[in-house]
Amino acid sequence: MNLKMNTRSINDGASLIDLEGEIDVYTAPNLKQQIINLLDEGVRHVTVNLTDVEYLDSTALGVLIGGLKRLRERDGSLDLICPNPRIKRVFEITGLDKIFDIYATEEEAVKRLQVKEGT
Amino acid sequence: MAGEQIPAVVELKIPCRPEFVGVARLAMLGVASRMRFSYDDVEDIRLAVGEACTMAVERGAAAQKNDTVITINSEISEGKLSIEVWDEVGPMQETSQASESPEDLDPDEIGRVLMELLVDEFKVEPTPEGTLVRMVKYSG
Repeated sequence: MNLKMNTRSINDGASLIDLEGEIDVYTAPNLKQQIINLLDEGVRHVTVNLTDVEYLDSTALGVLIGGLKRLRERDGSLDLICPNPRIKRVFEITGLDKIFDIYATEEEAVKRLQVKEGT
Repeated sequence: MAGEQIPAVVELKIPCRPEFVGVARLAMLGVASRMRFSYDDVEDIRLAVGEACTMAVERGAAAQKNDTVITINSEISEGKLSIEVWDEVGPMQETSQASESPEDLDPDEIGRVLMELLVDEFKVEPTPEGTLVRMVKYSG
């Protein structure tokens, strides 16, 4: 019932957060703090890797939406890597799949990020 | 299920605190697995109950009533699982107007949307003592 988190730098302004486990009312505050830390460090593009997330609820969605809004205020982005149909379904039924850019693989997400940074 | 008695009731009480919501979810996995639900249905039940408990925990935190308990009552009957999630954190505050865009949804609204979509029947009954969430999921 824990959430493991590992943050990697893609480049100066972009970071990727690998998550593993469950994101719920207990663990979501850790993710929120990590996103805030990255914002404080000047990161503008955050990619959250949900590949190894087995459970995600409304508090997780709230944290991701909050992060997305803050990053967009800086002309940045918050994208998701989510190959798991079960987790992706939570975004789909809430309509949030239209708000986030969701990719199936890290390669795809990083490629699109390079396009975004170039624009 | 052969030879098992229906109906059956499973009642669980958890502290109204974030670290125990996962316990309720695990228990619901066990309860729902006793019935003829698909894998997706079992996952839906787990998420819906998690959302109901989360709603209670967040209201409890706002009301500084995390020393109370959440009671999860599951009744297994033929083709039907009825779940009641009841908290004791006091009266429910009115929520703001429904948001037009998913981007403007707050987690509480998202939780309600999820519960409505994940189960077949969903009702929230506020009382002066707390809130009762009733959910029904049909199998088959």
